[in-house]
Parts: sequence; C-alpha cells; structure tokens
Amino acid sequence: MKHVMTAQAEGEVILYIGGVHASHEAAVIKTLLGSCIAVCLHDPVARVGGMNHFMLPYGADGQAEGASRFGVHAMDRLIGETMKVGGDRRRFVAKVFGGAHVIGIRSSQVSVPAQNVEFVRRFLEAEGFPVLNTDVGGKHPRHVHFHTDTGRAFVKRVATTNAQLVQQEQRSMRTPPAYGDVTLFE
Amino acid sequence: MPATILIVDDSKILRAMVRDALEADQHHVVEAADASAALHTVDMVPPDLVITDVNMPDTDGITLVRQLRQRPRERFIPILVLTTEAGDDIKQRGRAAGATGWLVKPFDPIRLRETVKRVLKPRSA
Repeated sequence: MKHVMTAQAEGEVILYIGGVHASHEAAVIKTLLGSCIAVCLHDPVARVGGMNHFMLPYGADGQAEGASRFGVHAMDRLIGETMKVGGDRRRFVAKVFGGAHVIGIRSSQVSVPAQNVEFVRRFLEAEGFPVLNTDVGGKHPRHVHFHTDTGRAFVKRVATTNAQLVQQEQRSMRTPPAYGDVTLFE
Repeated sequence: MPATILIVDDSKILRAMVRDALEADQHHVVEAADASAALHTVDMVPPDLVITDVNMPDTDGITLVRQLRQRPRERFIPILVLTTEAGDDIKQRGRAAGATGWLVKPFDPIRLRETVKRVLKPRSA
C-alpha cells in the first residue's frame, strides 16, 4: 500500500491507513485517526513498542463480512514487528485509539467505527494483552503520538473534520487488502 | 485423505482461523503456541504436515523448520511457513532451512486448503 508510513524528523514516523511501525530505538509514531483504529503495543521491560493504523473493510450495507480476517492480519503484523525489534509478547500491554463517528460518514456505515472498536477489544482479550488505556468513539478525529520507549501516548481531539481523511477512510472500508502469495519450493 | 496437521503460531486467533480452514477437509488439527511446544507435540502426535509462523517468542519458525528436519520422522514430511513476512531474503532462508512452501498472511482459506492438498498428495499416492 502506498504512503503507509513516512519518516519525519529524526525519531519521528507518521503512520497512515494500513501502516504498521515498531522501533527498538526511542521514536515517536504519529497518526491521525477518524473512524480508523490504532493499537499501540509496548513491552515495558525491553522498552520497545509499535503501532498500527487500520480499518476493517466493510460491505455496502456496513457489515463486516469476513473483515475480521484482515483485522487479525493488521494485529498479527503489529505483534510480529514489535517482536522483531526485541519485544516479548508475554509482556505486551496495549492502548487503543480511534473509532470516531466522524461527520461525513455515510448512514449505512454508522456502525462501522463501533465494530472496529469491538473487534480490537475481542482480539486483545483473546490474545491476553492487558489494555492500559483506550480513547475511542466520539465525533471528532484524533491526533495520536506514541512514544515507543516509554509507552506513553498523547491524544488530541481535532475540532474540525478533515474531508480528505474521511475520503481515505471510506476508500479503505471498501477495499480489503489482497491475500498474500503462496510459494512452493520445488 | 484426512491428515494430522500441526499448526504452530503464537496467536490463538490465527490458530483458530487455520484450524477452521483445515477441518473443512476433515483433517485432524493439533496446535502449538511456540517451537518448544511444537517439538513436544510431534513426539506425542506425529504429524503428516506442519504449518508454522515465523515470528514467535524464544525460537523463530525458521529455526523450528531446521530442528524438525534434523529429526528422522519429520525429515521428509511437508512443512509450510505461514507468516506476515514476504521478503525474498527470508523466504530463501526458509527454503534453505528445509521448508516446503511459504504462504504470506492474510491467507485465503481456499488457497490454503488447495496448497495443503497439493503438498500432501505424494503421501496418499
């Protein structure tokens, strides 16, 4: 996916829809969320952390048919990337942000943010990751800054809805990620 | 022909998703959450096929493939890697370790079932 992540100032990373980033060095991962979800995972012993930013794909009726498969993938990538930088999943703690009912969301999709939030809640519970903090729902987008070394997250709600953000999220809702390749070594 | 398949993945949800896909073909599925549990399980329930993740606590999936290939019984059974890792370098490391194939997540359940059928075919021929 294009533009899932860009490097900013040294130690800063901006994450877009579909992106995932984890760092073994102190870094600040920044993202802007509307209806999307961002999950931050942190290992307080190894002092490493990571964040993803995703939207479950939904049908025209706003129902998440088969979508959890891709949500699981987004979470699996985050877990894998955070382990690769030295995290141990047995120590992971989580913070969850997003899932707002931003202005401009279609009436058929009003339940989408809540379904995203519910998916993440169930996933984290099933995998046994304690959730230290959540800031979900509401009507306004959020800026989230996550510090990978300390695990601290700063959230600022945005008063005005960014039309481009809504468009990107609606496009993401309609476009499930492609399945991965299969290679047989023969 | 139903087979005994060992799924190795640290994610409980991922294991359940793979199990659902494989049980649709009446396979007997056993699970392990990490490499050491996998090595213990193969002694208890010898599998016809192993499907393993790569990024797991303690021992990664490629090391597990190498360890399985050193065992007489698992030396020749198919071993598939199912992972979010899609880079050529790591695929080649998997191949060198003795993996039979490499599937990148998110996986298509139908394609997974077809791949399993294909790698198990020599066993039932």
